[in-house]
Amino acid sequence: MSYKVEIPEFEGPLDLLLHLIKQENIDIKEIEIDKITKQYLDYINIMEELNLNIASEYLIMAAELIEIKSASLLPKQQIEDDEFEEDPKQSLINRLLEYEQYKKISDNFKELEEYRQKFFMKEPSNLAYLEVNDNSNSNEDLELLLQAFYKFIEQKKLDKPLKTKITNKEYSIEKRCVEIKHLLKNKSVLTFNELFNIRTKQYVVITFLAILSMTKNQEIELKQDENFKNIIIKEKDGKNEL
Amino acid sequence: MNYKGIIEGLLFVYGDEGLDIKTICEIVEIDENIATTTIKQLYNDYENNDRGIHLEFLGNKFKLTTKPEHDVFYKKIVSIEQNTSLSQSALETLAIIAYNGPITRNQIDNIRGVNSSYVIRKLLLKGLITESGRSEEPGRPKMYNITPKFLDHFGLGSIKDLPKIEINTETEDIDTNLFNSKYKEDI
Repeated sequence: MSYKVEIPEFEGPLDLLLHLIKQENIDIKEIEIDKITKQYLDYINIMEELNLNIASEYLIMAAELIEIKSASLLPKQQIEDDEFEEDPKQSLINRLLEYEQYKKISDNFKELEEYRQKFFMKEPSNLAYLEVNDNSNSNEDLELLLQAFYKFIEQKKLDKPLKTKITNKEYSIEKRCVEIKHLLKNKSVLTFNELFNIRTKQYVVITFLAILSMTKNQEIELKQDENFKNIIIKEKDGKNEL
Repeated sequence: MNYKGIIEGLLFVYGDEGLDIKTICEIVEIDENIATTTIKQLYNDYENNDRGIHLEFLGNKFKLTTKPEHDVFYKKIVSIEQNTSLSQSALETLAIIAYNGPITRNQIDNIRGVNSSYVIRKLLLKGLITESGRSEEPGRPKMYNITPKFLDHFGLGSIKDLPKIEINTETEDIDTNLFNSKYKEDI
């Protein structure tokens, strides 16, 4: 015997439960857990037979229903239990009631939406062509831009002599090591950034290599308190005399 | 000076963007009382049967619209009617956000009994809801609220025009539960 199953679409386990309750024509507050659990599971089984994807939420609800059902089968103990603990059945009923409310109100919204679709508006008129280029305004902008550019050039100038001086010099790692040692003699503690006061490629690379090789030779010690904090460079203890 | 004509023209220019009372006052340089009475006059003019325009208060702004009773004629203009209606899940989610916002996704999920992240993303894209800050709950989840576009979509003037429901005190329950659980942790 072939039969046709018509399955309405549900928004979720609560929606399905509401549907089952409505079919039974009972009040949500009066649901019988074992009856509803059976119907719910039957429904899930049908869905499975039809190879429908059962969302995990449905299975969670199935588990909850079975839990409530099994709890109701056990003899009741400790009636004056923790008063804060909500009866799971009652909490399910509350959830259903609340969900039902929003489901109902969403019908209202549907009507409102339908009515709203009966009237139309026009897009704002395009008045962009009326906009006059305000010269005083754009001058100001230009001024600012020029200022910024001049500032930039000034800074570039400051950079330049340093740059040319250094790049002409040939640096070696050994030389830089000696320099760093001298610096440490004078100051005992240096921050990582202090060593990179001249920002040319060669200088930075040499300095970095110098720091690495000194660390490897246990001449200095590197310390960093936290991520992204300044790295502190110290002379390694015991190497002072060497 | 005939303010009515000016306001009418302004509303026409602004179209579906609409104008709030404050902006009208600023542009026309009148005080709010005059603006309000003029808008009322304009509204009454349009209510006449021989007019095709309607003045509507949508999403906190005044907008000129066509009249709903004329929709049959406008629908003749288009060959295929585009379906811009929202899905059931979108409506449900919107209803929950409208009455409880700002609300976290988790709270929405709890009420609906299903995961709502996809719906929320769609509603955000449509501009019907917006992120409005973060909750103080652990993890500081994002909270969502409805937008003026939401009100316009349902033909509502302001939040006050939402259909009335007696809101179940579920949200309060969540609060007290949180309170209790925190209290227990402290012990």
